[in-house]
Amino acid sequence: MSVSGATPTAGASKGATALLRGGLGQWSALAALAGIWLTFQALNPRFLSAINLTNLVLQSTALGTIAIGVVLVLMIREIDLSVGAVSGFGAAVVAVLNVKAGWPAAAAIAAGLAVGAAVGGAHGLLVTGLRLPSFVVTLAGLLAWQGALFFVLGETGTVNLQDPAMTALAGTFLSPGVGWALGCVAVAAYAAVVWRRSRARGDHEAGSATGLAVRVLAAAAVGAALVAVFNADRGMPLVAVVFLVLVVLFDGLMTRTAFGRHARAIGSDPDVAARAGIGVDRVRLAIFALTSVLAVTGGIIAASRLLAVNQSSGSTDLMLSAIAAAVIGGTSLFGGRGSIWSALFGSLVIGSVGNGLDLLGVSSSVRFVVTGSVLIIAVALDTFSRRAAASAYE
Amino acid sequence: MIVRAAAAVVALLALAAGCAPAAGTADEPGPRIALLLPESKTARYEAHDRPAFEERVRRRCPACTTIYSNANQDGARQQAQAEAALTNGADVLVLDPVDSVSSAVIVRAAAAAGVPVITYDRMVLDVEVDFHVTFDNERVGELQAAALLEAIAADDRDDGVIVMLNGAPTDDNARLLITGAHRVLDPADVRIGAEFDIPDWSPDKAQEQMERALATIGRDRVIGVYAANDGIAGGAVAAMKAGGVSPLPPITGQDAELAAIQRILVGEQHMTVYKAIRSQAAVAADAAIALALHGAVPPSLATDTVFNGSAQVPAHILSPAVVTRSTIAGTVIADGLWSAEDICTGRFRAACSDAGISQ
Repeated sequence: MSVSGATPTAGASKGATALLRGGLGQWSALAALAGIWLTFQALNPRFLSAINLTNLVLQSTALGTIAIGVVLVLMIREIDLSVGAVSGFGAAVVAVLNVKAGWPAAAAIAAGLAVGAAVGGAHGLLVTGLRLPSFVVTLAGLLAWQGALFFVLGETGTVNLQDPAMTALAGTFLSPGVGWALGCVAVAAYAAVVWRRSRARGDHEAGSATGLAVRVLAAAAVGAALVAVFNADRGMPLVAVVFLVLVVLFDGLMTRTAFGRHARAIGSDPDVAARAGIGVDRVRLAIFALTSVLAVTGGIIAASRLLAVNQSSGSTDLMLSAIAAAVIGGTSLFGGRGSIWSALFGSLVIGSVGNGLDLLGVSSSVRFVVTGSVLIIAVALDTFSRRAAASAYE
Repeated sequence: MIVRAAAAVVALLALAAGCAPAAGTADEPGPRIALLLPESKTARYEAHDRPAFEERVRRRCPACTTIYSNANQDGARQQAQAEAALTNGADVLVLDPVDSVSSAVIVRAAAAAGVPVITYDRMVLDVEVDFHVTFDNERVGELQAAALLEAIAADDRDDGVIVMLNGAPTDDNARLLITGAHRVLDPADVRIGAEFDIPDWSPDKAQEQMERALATIGRDRVIGVYAANDGIAGGAVAAMKAGGVSPLPPITGQDAELAAIQRILVGEQHMTVYKAIRSQAAVAADAAIALALHGAVPPSLATDTVFNGSAQVPAHILSPAVVTRSTIAGTVIADGLWSAEDICTGRFRAACSDAGISQ
């Protein structure tokens, strides 16, 4: 598999290949999401109510944030099995500093994120320095950081968050006016980016102007629908805004910067990337650090929602769901292909399955089986589309 | 391919929905009562609490539906399940919290939706709750400790120490048990050699802690084990059998699980505390129906109050009973918790007739 633009492709098939290479995973995630939503709506007419969609978003953001990190690490052909444990450990550090040591929330959160960077840096050093497989390093990390979580929490096992600044993250809902303003700003920013990009490419034909208008209108419709749904309930959740900003930032990092291009080149073929003069180890180290920082961020969001950190925070279940979310969203387990947006779509798929089955009162055994089956379908699609893309090159 | 994927997902969900009880869906009229239980590792919740509660609701209020969820000891899951219940239009939440403190977030969400909350078995602390149904858990701790002391005295051993395996530190009941047990043990003439909290009431963690205690104290010096419930007792028994402790010292328990009753029959566990779960579930169901239909719990049910750090919560407190080998027939069998056929299977048949249990 090759990085976009690095392989010459005939113009006519370029669109189709690009779709197969980068886009299909996300489209199938969207199709799956639509299927899941319509099914649950048919089974329980409250599924698509404003209150439940808001709950669904609140339930999915912590997982989605962790999944962003998983996408990053999958894109360079590595894996991080420790994201769940690291999220629990980082959140525990924040909670203990804030509650037991009396640090202000901002300082405690900064310290937690720094711990995340150190943890991820350690993983990266072991992978790049000692050439240990990331699977083994992060499997060891899973166990070690879970132990660190228990140690930090101490004998009582649960630390409750009471600091309003800590609970505000998941407990704040923006007023309707602010929600609309944010929606407008987001759509305007999107329109500006799309317009500048098309100018930079030198598209001046009428057809492309129409296409541009359609894309901006579609974005405006999606944005308006989102704001309207949130405002019909408690308002736009602050944590949803934070998550979206993270997705956009990391998507920009991976698609519009030299760092992102290097990372994707490594994912396509590490040897070629090294021969091209890319500092492979430096990029890997940075990616592992970012993944752990994102895991801690997700852990903090989860803690802010539960108002507590306890021994089951960041359990293995969370790690499996985060990796599943990345893959369901269309990020390839085989490296080189994926998008940060797959964390968004994938976590919504997993969150929707959990939320919908809860609404139906299905036991958790069924929930695990269904989530596992959705994952299998997603990975099967991933494999098929790889084959299809490979044959499209011939 | 996309279409095929979507079709596969839809088919899968339809299949999963087939496993869903009809009660969970939103279009049936009548009051809805949500029952939120914490876990499935302890046998009582799925085997007794849930069926007894649902049966009582069906009998007392045929128009009512029960929405049931089990959180598998995951606080975040329970929060999502409570949100699902509220979305489904629940009129009352009956909540047995995974975590006595952090589940205040669930009670606040219910209050914001104007839905009353009954806490079941475990209290939610520092937040206003409408009604609480429980057993006198300090009394349970006292009964366990007193039975343990009696058995140690009967063994006539004064050369060792006892090991205490307490419940989950996140569960307020565990704290009440510890208070009750220490009230009896501390003034008595026994030494506590080791005391552990068992996270999640988990039998395998209890086994690990017991192994550690045997290694540090010495297997011949343990003269009794205070185990907070039957699951923990099971873990402790497994550790002692594997460690070659023979004969087993007296071990306490709680919940009258089938496995514990059978251990008591063959002398591997000294006692368990039987809490009439059916009565507890029935009281909770009656209170929930009253709240759903009339908005208040009748004074005939609200016979006590409990302070939970925020308010005096109207409560109904039931009394526990001790079960030893000689009282199995008169308690759990007479009450219909277990039948003689349930208990006296295979290798327990002989022990049953020895204990005078007729089959």
